[in-house]
Amino acid sequence: MIKLIKAELKKIFHKKSFLVITVIFMFYSILTNVIYKEMNTLLNIDNLYTDELKEENKSLNLNNALELEQYVTNITILETEELKKDYKDMAYIIDNKLYDLILEKNSKKFITKEDITDIDEQIEEYKNYIKKKDWRYFTNLELNDINESLSENKSERLEKAKSLEEYRLKNNVNYAEDNYLNKAIITIKTDLNEYYNLKEMSNLNSEMQKRYEALEEEMAINNYILEKKVDALSNNSLGAVLKNFSGEFGLFILIYVIMISGSIISEEFNKGTIKYLLTKPYKRSSILTAKLLTIMLLIPIILLFMVLIEIILGGIILGFNSLSVPVLIYHNGVIEAYHVLKYLGLLLLSSLPEYLVLSILCFLLSTVTTSTSAAITCTFLFYLIGNVISNLALIYNTRIFKYFISLHWNFDYLVNKTSNPYNFSWSFSLGIVIIYIVIMLCISYVYFNKKDVKNI
Amino acid sequence: MNILKVENLCKKFGKKEVLKNVSFEINEGDILAFIGPNGAGKTTSIKCILGLQKITKGEVIINNYSLKKNFVKAISKVGALVEAPDVYTYLTGYENLLLQASYYKNISEDSIMDIIKLVGLENRIYDKVSKYSLGMRQRLGIAIALINNPNLLILDEPTNGLDPEGIKDLRELLLKLSKEHIGILISSHNLSELESFCNKVCIISHGEVLAVKSIKDIKKIDENKYILKTDNTSKIKKYLTNIDKIIDNNYVEIIKDEEAMGEFIKRVVLNDIKVYEIKKEDLSLEEAFIKIAGGKKID
Repeated sequence: MIKLIKAELKKIFHKKSFLVITVIFMFYSILTNVIYKEMNTLLNIDNLYTDELKEENKSLNLNNALELEQYVTNITILETEELKKDYKDMAYIIDNKLYDLILEKNSKKFITKEDITDIDEQIEEYKNYIKKKDWRYFTNLELNDINESLSENKSERLEKAKSLEEYRLKNNVNYAEDNYLNKAIITIKTDLNEYYNLKEMSNLNSEMQKRYEALEEEMAINNYILEKKVDALSNNSLGAVLKNFSGEFGLFILIYVIMISGSIISEEFNKGTIKYLLTKPYKRSSILTAKLLTIMLLIPIILLFMVLIEIILGGIILGFNSLSVPVLIYHNGVIEAYHVLKYLGLLLLSSLPEYLVLSILCFLLSTVTTSTSAAITCTFLFYLIGNVISNLALIYNTRIFKYFISLHWNFDYLVNKTSNPYNFSWSFSLGIVIIYIVIMLCISYVYFNKKDVKNI
Repeated sequence: MNILKVENLCKKFGKKEVLKNVSFEINEGDILAFIGPNGAGKTTSIKCILGLQKITKGEVIINNYSLKKNFVKAISKVGALVEAPDVYTYLTGYENLLLQASYYKNISEDSIMDIIKLVGLENRIYDKVSKYSLGMRQRLGIAIALINNPNLLILDEPTNGLDPEGIKDLRELLLKLSKEHIGILISSHNLSELESFCNKVCIISHGEVLAVKSIKDIKKIDENKYILKTDNTSKIKKYLTNIDKIIDNNYVEIIKDEEAMGEFIKRVVLNDIKVYEIKKEDLSLEEAFIKIAGGKKID
């Protein structure tokens, strides 16, 4: 059997198509990593946006009340964006504290034509601190406000808000947009109000309950980030690509798997080499088993190989540092930190049934039709239809697809510790997967054992 | 020693009966020429013998093992080249041989080299098969058939694509092999290619074996072929046997020994048929064979 498997591997690795896909995959991997790296730049449309605003301002008719209002908003945005460009560390302050003041000033100046000396003074004062990059001044302002409120009315929400500001001071967290600690503080700060409002309500409907849980999770994760100082939510790191591996490269996994299992039998028939293979002193079932085992062996090898290539290429492009940043999974109020590679491994393992079912389906079609293209096309169609049916089942919550395989072949909810989207138990899903696999294998074996090698 | 025994082999594709009770034997040292026109069932028979197609009825026994019951043992000492030599074209000739050898136990690289020399591929063996000519592929196919040191060699139309030089090489190779206690089954639609080195002939037509005879038996007959020119061949028709042939209005082909031919000429002349010309030709092995087989025509 080992001899047979070795021979199969030799045949596969000598194939050109295998090499071609690998080269394409490497290009694709490089592109993906570059996109992740440049994601922020790509998303940073500020320049484009300000230019647009300037254009718009030129065309506005300032005698029209509505258009004047638009004009005021526009120049306010332009002013703050200009400031943000120069004082990145103060971005949040400019967007939140200064923006409101400038908007007020501009409204007074252009719309109500009121006196703006007072407000101008206030703005200038703030601007001074901003220009000095004295972010601590604003933190202390915020802290004073909170302390004042606290002296009137003690509450958990205010205590929490206070601790955030103290954290900022203690750990030197400025207000820069790309500072992940700043992001975490702001996220929690924004969530606090909504969270405590929901918490105080007695009868939450299911929508509100979901929102409440989502806020709880978001806050827990961001608290963890603050506590451990890990940039776990970064989306332009190697870790982020790896976390999204199935999403980014799932198609390639599928192509590899289908390409191998779709051709391993049919190509021997098409090329006529099956005549040599079947006149070797082995039972037909042994030959089929060897081919099947070869696929089973190759799927994890290919996955490992792909991950390795991605780590090397991604590491070169995005840096290897993020490999030490854990993936955070929230479950029942507890945060679990996984090493990113462990998380990726578990995720790939959880999607293995999907690839296994598709590969065996392709193997079956390849055995029955002896046509590589038919096997590959049909399997791919099945995969697409499977996705459609999964989505349909999700939307209409219908039970007619209860036994359809695509609802069962992915177990990633176990890794992410969320509930099964269709409310199936994992053992039921596993049972369905096994039944499908057994049926397909039986058909393949019966068919292959009986098959005549046709005359040309 | 008996190497291959085919007994009442029947094969149906759906309702169509392609093989009807095919039976023959190959013993040690035999080179059996398996002759028949295209579509007679040669390749199907060979595929059934090799287990590539399932036998509907009958038995194939190789080296005393039943192919149906003990396929692995039966097939282990068989080497075969069926139809075209279909190998992995993305590998070199040598890689192909190594790959095929890897399915068997204990085949040394030396013995692979010997086989390469035997088939005369040593100069091109490290080239990709995709660059081979048909003749070279055929040689590689024969090399693969020999790789497990078989005692039953089955070659389906091995002369296809071979040049006269190649056919000569093949003939020498097979003669050499047959002396090493192996049995050879070699199919062709043309007996004349094989007659010089076969010792047995099996003729198959429409899925039925017409006869199996040894070459010696066939060669024993001292009959000749005569081409006769007469004034009108329709008049001569009633004097012909079913192996004779009317060529056109003036010419007929007659197969008889000398004595019978003399009688035949006398008879036709006495019956007022004019004979302008008689030409004597050698009888081909095929025609002789048909004569022995009882005059059944191959078509």
